[in-house]
Amino acid sequence: MKIETTLAGSFPKLPTRAGDVNLRVVRNRRDSGKATDQDVAEAIRETTRRILNVQEEAGIDLPVDGSAGWDDAQTYVARSLGGFQIAGLIRYLDTNTYYRQPEIVGAVRWNGPITVEDYKRAQAMTSRPVKAFLPGPYSLYRFSKDRHYKNPSEALAAIGKALGQEARALEDAGATWIHFEEPWLGRASAADAPLVRAALEPLLAGRKAKTLIHVPFAAPTAVFDAIRDLPWTAIGLDLVEAPAGWELLNEVPQGKTVALGLLDARNTRLEDAAAVAEAVSRARAARPDLEYQLSPSASLEYLPADKAELKVSRLVEAARIASRNGG
Amino acid sequence: MARGLWTTTVGSFPKPAHLEKARNQHARGELSQDALEKLEHEETIQVLKRQEEIGLDILVDGELYRGDMTTFFAERMPGFAISNPVRSYGNRYYRKPIAVGPIRRKKPLTVEWWKFAQSQTTKPVKGMLTGPYTMMDWSFNEHYPSREAMAMDLAEAIREEALALQEAGAKYIQIDEPAVSVRPEELSMAVRALGRATEGLKAKTITHICYGDFDVIYPALLDLPVDMIDLEMANSRYDLLDRFRSHPFTKEIGYGVLDVHSHRIESKDEVKQGILRGLDVLRPEQMYVDPDCGLKTRTVEEAFAKLQVMVDAVREVRQEKGITA
Repeated sequence: MKIETTLAGSFPKLPTRAGDVNLRVVRNRRDSGKATDQDVAEAIRETTRRILNVQEEAGIDLPVDGSAGWDDAQTYVARSLGGFQIAGLIRYLDTNTYYRQPEIVGAVRWNGPITVEDYKRAQAMTSRPVKAFLPGPYSLYRFSKDRHYKNPSEALAAIGKALGQEARALEDAGATWIHFEEPWLGRASAADAPLVRAALEPLLAGRKAKTLIHVPFAAPTAVFDAIRDLPWTAIGLDLVEAPAGWELLNEVPQGKTVALGLLDARNTRLEDAAAVAEAVSRARAARPDLEYQLSPSASLEYLPADKAELKVSRLVEAARIASRNGG
Repeated sequence: MARGLWTTTVGSFPKPAHLEKARNQHARGELSQDALEKLEHEETIQVLKRQEEIGLDILVDGELYRGDMTTFFAERMPGFAISNPVRSYGNRYYRKPIAVGPIRRKKPLTVEWWKFAQSQTTKPVKGMLTGPYTMMDWSFNEHYPSREAMAMDLAEAIREEALALQEAGAKYIQIDEPAVSVRPEELSMAVRALGRATEGLKAKTITHICYGDFDVIYPALLDLPVDMIDLEMANSRYDLLDRFRSHPFTKEIGYGVLDVHSHRIESKDEVKQGILRGLDVLRPEQMYVDPDCGLKTRTVEEAFAKLQVMVDAVREVRQEKGITA
């Protein structure tokens, strides 16, 4: 059985080869008046093409566009939803990276497609199915400051619905896989279960595309009961930082897919491909009735570009060994 | 008459544009090391002079010669390599340390800069280091079998540097641990590492932490083995004071009253109100008033304007409350 390979969200923007477009330089030039917004848009396009090429050359089955135009994992979407404004920089959990905090100041609503053109442009650059990327509604709420809603459930339902509408627009544009980034599911307590459900139920209802709920950094153990029966296709587990995710394998309903996050996206040390393949075999032995993908534990943007590319190659190598072992 | 409400800063000051330009030229090989250092020394003198003019009690060298707070140290310590750029936000990048072998301190890291700064003023200048837990957490690790093993090796190296600063005459040694606040489950590891780094020091020891989930780490935070913990108070609208009411803050406190993320210059009244709120639950001799965090993200003029407001506010509170420095 072939183990499908995929990445988890954004990818380093900087080139590793001399002569390639350097988005950082172009943005700096734009900020100092020496380049235009059009130049930046072109650099984002070329960076996306390069990120897709890296994945295609390595043999990633389900590539991502790398979120080349995003400043962080929340605000690209939040700033275009009605009801949000964007405030100051704060630290993104324990990653020593930052994001601008969205603030909810009115009723959250979807005003029209936000990521669809990005998706279409990326999909036109590759023959493989591009996995679209969106923040998950529960985490978007937790990352935000709510100055509007009296009741968190109401806010979460509104965000879930709005992101569901964005997902529908992506589906209409041809997206067959959509990744929802949900780091806060790993930090939620059992008491948060109704809130998690309030967010994910409207998001997942009636989805045509396959959906991945990706939970980096910690295992969503405390709230898994609340999402178990929802119609997601795959759950992404960070098995590097959160070995407790192994125990969740037993809880995953039959026929679902688990994206095994077995390559450390937050450390430059390269894994041994055979050891990673062995871990995949362990999962398959424990739950032969599930489908599996192999992925990094989180976004590879926590690494420098050169190391991220090495991880992509190693990921594919490990998946090939695992596929052979488990044929 | 009570004493207290001494004024200081957290550490970094903004680099003037011509110094940033010179650092970039140096990185591209277009400016010599000597020429860059000459400029860094000149600008450090200016930063010290302006702190004196404003009337701060305890000064810093401003760290104008440093880039990232972990990479600066890692570049000078065997056992570390430095990565290619990693993004921190938007279009901001930094080079991150990678532990590739046993980490050691082979030579002084900051002592010469401290001596230079102290020679420029009669006021005390703080020695400024990055703590072992933060150095570990903000680095990649290709060598050590565990996070704790790496943190404890760093603690040894940082302790040697702290002892050298003390030997050189530093009366205040600040060992910053901003990463401590984001992984509550590792607080005990951070306590052990910082305990080793500060073991045997007679100088007043300080640690700065920020951006954390204080609901989870307070009051365990008080276990950090230092004399003073420096906290951002203004950024959280002084919410921490409620926690101090239910569990008294038992150490000296670096009491942050300026939002370093905002371009806005605070009014004297709002800073005064923040200090007065603190005096409801803290003793003046516990309190060292300062900005929430390093000022390097502000413009030069914003930084000094904010500090002037802070010092003026402290003077008024001292006068009204009969507190002396």
